[in-house]
Amino acid sequence: MWRNRKLWLVFALVAMLALALAACGQEQAPATEAPATEAPMTEEAQPTEAPQPTEEAKPTEEPKPAHTGAWVDEVTFITETDSQAAVTRLQEGLIDVYAFTIGNPDLYKTAKEDPNIKVVEFFGVYNELTINPYGVEAEDGVVTERDGTKVKPEFDNGAMNPFADPKVREAMNWLVDRNYIAQEIMGGLATPKYLPITSAFPDYARYIDTVREVEAKYAYNFEKAKEVITAEMEAMGAEMGEDGIWTYNGQPVTIIILIRVEDERKEIGDYVANQLEELGFKVERRYGTFSDLGAYWIRGNPADGEWHIYTGGWITTAVSRDQGGNFEFFYTPRGLGIALWQAYRNSPDFDTAAEKLANNDFADMAERDELFRTALSLANEEAVRIWLVDQKSFSVVRSDIHVAYDLAGGISGAVLWPYTLRVGDEPGGSVTWVNADILSDVWNPVAGSDAIYDMQAIRATGDWGVVSDPYTGLAWPQRIEKAEVFAVKGTPITKTLDWVSLEFVDEIQVPDDAWVDWDAEAQKFITAGEKGEPMTARVKSVVYYPEDLYDKVTWHDGSPFDVADIVMSLIMTFDRGKEASAIFDESYQPDFESFLSVFKGVRIVSEQPLVIEYYTDSFQLDAELNVSTLWPQYGYGEGAWHTVALGVLAEQNQELAFSADKADALEIEWMNFVAGPSLEILAKYLDQAMADNYIPYANTMSAYVTEDEAKARWENLKAWYDAKGHFWVGTGPFYLDGVFPLEKTVVLKRYEAYPDPSDKWLGFGEPKLATVSIEGPARVSTSAGEAVFDVYVTFQDAPYPADEISGVKYLLFDSQGTVVASGSADLVEDGHYQVTLSGDVLGQLGVGANRLEVAVTSIRVSVPALESIEFLSIP
Amino acid sequence: MAEQVGGPAPQGEQRGTGARGAPSTWKRLLRYTLTRLVALFITVVIGVYLTILIANMGGYVDEIRRSQIREQIAVKFQNDPAFRALPPEERQKRIDAEVAVEEKRLGLDKPFLVRSFNYLKHALTLDLGRSENMTSDSGSRQVRLIILERLPATLVLFGTSQIVLFAIALYIALYLSRHYGSWLDRFFVALSPLSSAPGWFYGIFLILIFAAWLKWLPFGGMVSVPPPESPVRYALDVAYHMILPIMALTLSSIFISVYGWRTFFLIFSSEDYVEMARAKGVHPRAIERRYILRPTLPTIITSFALGVIGVWMGAPIFETIFNWPGLGRVLFHAVQLFDTPVIVGSNVIFAYLLALTVFLLDIIYAIVDPRVTVGGGRQS
Repeated sequence: MWRNRKLWLVFALVAMLALALAACGQEQAPATEAPATEAPMTEEAQPTEAPQPTEEAKPTEEPKPAHTGAWVDEVTFITETDSQAAVTRLQEGLIDVYAFTIGNPDLYKTAKEDPNIKVVEFFGVYNELTINPYGVEAEDGVVTERDGTKVKPEFDNGAMNPFADPKVREAMNWLVDRNYIAQEIMGGLATPKYLPITSAFPDYARYIDTVREVEAKYAYNFEKAKEVITAEMEAMGAEMGEDGIWTYNGQPVTIIILIRVEDERKEIGDYVANQLEELGFKVERRYGTFSDLGAYWIRGNPADGEWHIYTGGWITTAVSRDQGGNFEFFYTPRGLGIALWQAYRNSPDFDTAAEKLANNDFADMAERDELFRTALSLANEEAVRIWLVDQKSFSVVRSDIHVAYDLAGGISGAVLWPYTLRVGDEPGGSVTWVNADILSDVWNPVAGSDAIYDMQAIRATGDWGVVSDPYTGLAWPQRIEKAEVFAVKGTPITKTLDWVSLEFVDEIQVPDDAWVDWDAEAQKFITAGEKGEPMTARVKSVVYYPEDLYDKVTWHDGSPFDVADIVMSLIMTFDRGKEASAIFDESYQPDFESFLSVFKGVRIVSEQPLVIEYYTDSFQLDAELNVSTLWPQYGYGEGAWHTVALGVLAEQNQELAFSADKADALEIEWMNFVAGPSLEILAKYLDQAMADNYIPYANTMSAYVTEDEAKARWENLKAWYDAKGHFWVGTGPFYLDGVFPLEKTVVLKRYEAYPDPSDKWLGFGEPKLATVSIEGPARVSTSAGEAVFDVYVTFQDAPYPADEISGVKYLLFDSQGTVVASGSADLVEDGHYQVTLSGDVLGQLGVGANRLEVAVTSIRVSVPALESIEFLSIP
Repeated sequence: MAEQVGGPAPQGEQRGTGARGAPSTWKRLLRYTLTRLVALFITVVIGVYLTILIANMGGYVDEIRRSQIREQIAVKFQNDPAFRALPPEERQKRIDAEVAVEEKRLGLDKPFLVRSFNYLKHALTLDLGRSENMTSDSGSRQVRLIILERLPATLVLFGTSQIVLFAIALYIALYLSRHYGSWLDRFFVALSPLSSAPGWFYGIFLILIFAAWLKWLPFGGMVSVPPPESPVRYALDVAYHMILPIMALTLSSIFISVYGWRTFFLIFSSEDYVEMARAKGVHPRAIERRYILRPTLPTIITSFALGVIGVWMGAPIFETIFNWPGLGRVLFHAVQLFDTPVIVGSNVIFAYLLALTVFLLDIIYAIVDPRVTVGGGRQS
């Protein structure tokens, strides 16, 4: 029988260990009770205005109140690092959304073929070859660099660097077959890229004609590359040996390629190496990770000759409406203060264009257009980078899930996902949302986690003054009603949407009562009048909030939204950057100084309705993006004045710190509003604040917060903490219901008091990508009077409204690939345009196959739709 | 080292030196203990310092970190429209200032050699300090919490599996040693090469069969989503999620363990004194307990003790396959991030555990095996 006892002992041990873990896990799990929103804890809780049935109305016909806020009742975030496993779980219906960015062509095929899975595609990752252009400066140098400097094609150690010659660099564009990389190496999940702008972003569509010309010019042409490089190598004194290898000063010319191994860049590096070997270069392939190779190209001195080419990759996580700065960043010494960048030598024309574009130093959009086209045309002659592909990434969701996604950041990067996520077409239901991680770092709105995995959930708990259009990068009003933008004449700003007005003025004076700075000791704002010197600004925005703002919007703990929440966020912007402050943070100072260098003032014109003016010297090209909406979004989440105040108390007493840097410096905990050792400390200060009826920065804030309001806020927060076990309080469509750190699980629930109807952002459920088709003659006589081609633009088989189309441009390529003509198509009716090629244009075509390419750009989506038709020209 | 003195047979009665030898025995024991502790401590110091050097690639990681910092900060500023409005020299100044702050935070403003000895000092005094980049699951930067928060999950999975495996393997091995050459014996011997594959390899197949195909068990994770509120249901849920990983771990080790122990027992079963006992007609169970298990006890205890402290390091790939929040993934993540304090913290605890285990084993050997004495010399 002792054997049985032994077995029982084993089982008992297993059970005890499981129970021990259960006890540990439960300690971290907060108590979950009924949501606070079901019984708001506000002192001024607004009763739900249920529709009153009329006498005539039968019970069955009683109108239902419009569904507000989020469509779904619950979203649970969990983790899965293996994409293959996640797709399998999605196929099995065990999860609903896999928001992780996938780039695996096999999985793409699997997902596309499964009717139960919907694939959402987005851009933002791109690849290039970083070239080391260093050459020893010498008066007798045989190579003339782009800025006119004479250089020898050598490193300091005497080894040859053919890429010191700009023409060799330029020829690399013809040497690499971008279509091969996109189709064969990336499995179709990429599009060829020739320029430092992203094909899914507005500047690509804006300059599509120039872009297409450049793309045609630098299309793959191995023979041309060989011809140019051979000629240049000979001119530089290199000789082709009998073994087919280039030599220089009697030594074989060896090209060192740094090849990243973490992704498809390994295959790309090998492909480029093979192509160079075909030209007669000896190639040394150095494989490694970012850590292994970073020290060569980032930290190393390009003059040392440790490398020639590096397989680079970059990422943009949001649609950028102005990529003008890319030329300066990627090509000029001003781009990055490290040795490689200092080896760049630019032609004066390119340099001027790059600098002006980076600094928005142009009078109007026409001048910008000219500068941009110059930079686009010259970029591949500078050729310190050879652009390869724009990657197409994807995420997968169950086919009955609808959700907005960002064209650059995917599902998890979209601000609008919480407002658009729904299961089927009816409200309700729950969604299991999976990504590679959650709770990557601490959550605090001031300087907490910025990990994309955390931000995807954090976004859902907060709201915004304006929200970013995931398909164009433009801004739409969310918590504001309208805005006016005033800009000094000569500032290149344009306007697209009607909710904002734009006016140019001679001068913008900052009024005397505007706040321009902060006195950390007196805890008061300093006005322009107190500064004593007249101040001007380049841009002023006036933001009008809705009259019922304070009635409609409530924090998740039931506290009504107040102007004090906005004032507190302003104070925090200044106070953390002031050395005299008890919450001064050295790591915040560079950001703060950047802010101060352009900030000119802010003025609360009216509290009810709320109207705020903002003055700045910084501007962006779109009026919509120049609207400075003050809303208590701190950058890492939304924060009510009373929750942030607890953090201020904890940091003042050096028990917690908002930022990781300050926490490290003081060797205290990094503040976490949702879990961990911080909670106990914050709870202590909550009790203290309740006892003292604390109003933070009382010298300023007491003008906006009464004693009663403060008391109610502390009581609400106490009740919230007791119920939920955390301090994360927002105004967004979801509230944070449960946090399970060890289990890596976060549960969000629909906030029932959210005021907006659920269908507010329904139109943004998916990008309005146009479909283009062209119809026209298959043969055209070069002596004919004209030729007409019909262009049809549709979305989901319906004509694309003309007022949503920003341009229908065409390019005519002859049989040699040369652009013969370009222009805009004529509108016939919604969704129907015509391109008319005149007799003069037709006369310029030789006999052969020609190509008419049409690019359609929309104000609803930044990705242009491209289509082409071929036709024969005959005498 | 404990000195094993060969003897013809276990003679438990010979244990003990008697009251007369006590003063010299205590002195000898004390001297041995001190010498042993010093030797073990020096071993720990060397081991930990080597870990520090390896984790930092002899200081090369500093270069990598500097590269990353400069690139990240430059790109961050580049994406800031306000920053782009600044003159170039002002931009550079800002970047340099932020780079300096970050380098100072990570201690890169001090030479690596100085920092390496600081790491060593903190590690040896078990002042595990703060991580450089990682946070614990609940968001703390304290290395202690980063490790401790994952410890229960690691212990419950790997500890359970270790105990289950150990108990089952011993039980079956003893059985097989008594039934040498039986079909079951041949079965285990034949399947022992299966243990050349790691647990995660079997994990993938088990997930495919039991989760994806049969849908009987979960794909992974430690609990259901969202986690049950009741402690009992939570514990049952954890146990339910442990079935597949424990099956995988057991499958990957059971055959070789059984084979190893069974061979070990067989060797002892053929010792002269066992044959003598059999000849005397001692009951087989008594032979098993007194003549086989007892002399093999030090080896069994050593194997068990080392197996249990080996749990400390976790198993990164296995934990990833099963999405299990264990220490292995923490350590793996720390290595990826070059987070020296976490790497050193985890290793120094392991080093101390190992040293302590070795020290205790010396004493335990002396208790359980009469052929062993501590401090040298033969007992009489």
